[in-house]
Amino acid sequence: MQSGVSVATEPLIETFGLTKKFGSVRALTDLNLRVMPGEIYGLLGPNGAGKTTAIKTILGLLEPTSGWLKIAGFSPTKNLIEVKSKIGYVAENPIVYDSLSPRDFLEFVASIRKLNQAKTNATIAHLANAFDMTQYFDSPIATLSHGMKQKVALIASFIHQPPILLFDEALNGLDAKSSRIVKDLVSFQAQKGGAVLFSTHIMEVAEKICNRIGVIHQGKVIAEGTLEQLRGKTGGNDGTLEEVFLKLTHEEAEVADTSKMLREAFLENEIV
Amino acid sequence: MKLSEAWQLSRIPYGEVVYRSIAEEKGRMWWGAFGRNHPGKEIQDELELTKRALRIAKFDKLVVAIFNIVVSAAPFASSFLGAPVLNLSSSISLSLAITFGFTMLYAIQTLSAFVNAEPSVLLSTLPIGRDDFSLITIFSFIRSIDYMVIGSILSQVILTAYLTSSPIATLIMLGASALNAVFAVAVALWFSKVFQDNLLRGGRSKINIVLRLIFILMWGLLLVGVGLMFSVPLYIVPNLETMLLSVGHISNMLLRLLYPFSAGTVIGATTYSNVPFTMILQAAVAMVTYTLLAVMASKWILGTIKRISKEGGVKITRVTAKDFSVKTHRPLLGYILKDLKVASRNPATAFFFVLPVIETIIIALLISNFETLRTSVVLVATFMGGIFALLLPLALLSAEGRGLEYTKTLPISSRRIILSKAMLSTATYVTVPLALVGLSLVKPAASFSAVLIPFLITIAIASASIIEIKLFLGTVVKGKINAIINDLEKLVVGIFTILIPECAYAASFLTTFDQSFSLLVMAGTVLVELVVGFYVLRR
Repeated sequence: MQSGVSVATEPLIETFGLTKKFGSVRALTDLNLRVMPGEIYGLLGPNGAGKTTAIKTILGLLEPTSGWLKIAGFSPTKNLIEVKSKIGYVAENPIVYDSLSPRDFLEFVASIRKLNQAKTNATIAHLANAFDMTQYFDSPIATLSHGMKQKVALIASFIHQPPILLFDEALNGLDAKSSRIVKDLVSFQAQKGGAVLFSTHIMEVAEKICNRIGVIHQGKVIAEGTLEQLRGKTGGNDGTLEEVFLKLTHEEAEVADTSKMLREAFLENEIV
Repeated sequence: MKLSEAWQLSRIPYGEVVYRSIAEEKGRMWWGAFGRNHPGKEIQDELELTKRALRIAKFDKLVVAIFNIVVSAAPFASSFLGAPVLNLSSSISLSLAITFGFTMLYAIQTLSAFVNAEPSVLLSTLPIGRDDFSLITIFSFIRSIDYMVIGSILSQVILTAYLTSSPIATLIMLGASALNAVFAVAVALWFSKVFQDNLLRGGRSKINIVLRLIFILMWGLLLVGVGLMFSVPLYIVPNLETMLLSVGHISNMLLRLLYPFSAGTVIGATTYSNVPFTMILQAAVAMVTYTLLAVMASKWILGTIKRISKEGGVKITRVTAKDFSVKTHRPLLGYILKDLKVASRNPATAFFFVLPVIETIIIALLISNFETLRTSVVLVATFMGGIFALLLPLALLSAEGRGLEYTKTLPISSRRIILSKAMLSTATYVTVPLALVGLSLVKPAASFSAVLIPFLITIAIASASIIEIKLFLGTVVKGKINAIINDLEKLVVGIFTILIPECAYAASFLTTFDQSFSLLVMAGTVLVELVVGFYVLRR
């Protein structure tokens, strides 16, 4: 795990009693989060646990049913523009304007964010070179692979060098080199006092880059802390994050049963 | 694989094509969720939208097919109203020309999603033979145009049978209608493929940009052509009939050789008793040539569809970027430039950028019938041009598509977005007053009002666009049909915003007969509307 340089006392992301309902479906229940400057907070949970809803609510894309939140001291319901200007966001599926080229897209994002041209170009050049974008910078985004699209979205999230990064499964589709670069960038963000909320369902990612982990299950944070603290909550001092996670979500027995059932079903059949 | 089985399976790629084109509309349908008023609705609507996709497509196809039947039958109206036999050749020719244009326009909208091959990917992973896979792809292609092609063929054949009572004429009409459909689909497929290839090839080539503009212009002009043919069949038909049946002139002979007039002449000849043999022969030879051409076109269509399903259709060229620099602009200009790029690269919305051409053509056509530039004609012409300009804000909202999801995460207010779209639609209309100033040099204006009114209408269009988009953003609608109804409501509000100053001018002129005073009243009304527009924008 990384060791952040957490000096300030005011959290950059703070939510209290955040609840979000979609009709009768409760996507978030009483979510309380505090991400401090210099911290990389991993939101860990299975598919459909509420990670994306949490991030979208923090970004102001979804309005909470109840509860409140503050982003760098601003409330998204009152100061949406200020909140969005302080955040760099990467969605689970990179949604960008498919008909634009990365150059056109970044030009649009930089213009909307009112960025200084020379400074922006320097940032883009560093990131585009790091992500090997030379062959793709003037191609329509529609023709790029999932990973390439993700890189475009990542560059767009960094160009204004925001204090807060909201990454929703941001490593999806990235090759090993690019994943490493993103991990480094996230680490630099924390080192210079920024905050990162990193949602993932991949244990290794959470284990390697996050200072603190919140385990989210069925819309609720069921445990929070460093890996050691989480291990302690499950009554052991060792074990991987995966084992800790399954214990916390009470899925250990269920996974063992499923695995046994599948073993019986598949080992009986020979490969044709 | 059985044909029925392939037909059933073709629902999958077809459904995907349909879903994709509907997903494109998401931007328009869910604009209401932009602000803080209704966030989260889109997630609930997603499931509903998916469920409805095929049902909506069926309804769409049915509506378009009915419209196609109406437009294909319209030229025959002159046969019912006038001398039935005399107008037959030209009615058939026009009917074929109109259905050709309309089928092609509709097919272009659908085929843009089809030519990128991704919808077939779902099936390509299954153990299906190459030929069967091609057959399924061809069927899914047929599904997207079946209703409208069958509808137009049936209406043309039934009307010909009714008017001629000749089995031979009916049979030839059946063949000609089928040829027509093949030509329309082939041109649409070619157009969509070239447009798509041009877009996907990428790079910053100026030739690509020029080509794209030419294609947009072609499409826009085609729509105008279809509109004109549909609106004035009674005016065109008699003149055309005279030309087709005149023996002497070389230009008339060339017209007979030209599709679809050759088809009209051949079918007409089976009914007329006094048509010279040479004329029938010329048209018949032309028809045989067109039949051969249609066979070649069919083969090309099948080959292209097969290629799309196997190879992915488009060859992408990667251009090495020389640098990674971007040019930043003020947010408003940045948004306008983005809108221009996105909309001009989508075949379904690109056409709206030829609105200035269309508006100018309409005005020129209306004014050409008069010796002076009359104020009354200018009022009508500017109003008609204004209606076209009001379609642009809604088209720009549609063009956002899924990219809107990203825009929502940026620090930009809806006020700035409304302004950018309103400015674009107003800019397309500026050509109208400028064209009228130009026309006033050729045709003397009856009064100075005739030249000044279009400038005032330009301001009214700015207010109308602001109000239209603002109303649109405040509404969340479910499903495409509701979205269309919603569009129409906003459009009506926009139309009234243009109509009110025109009515104010007309009313004050009819009561005072003072042009200067009427112009002042109109200017006052326009300014009040602009104030209302900005008030609505600030709220």
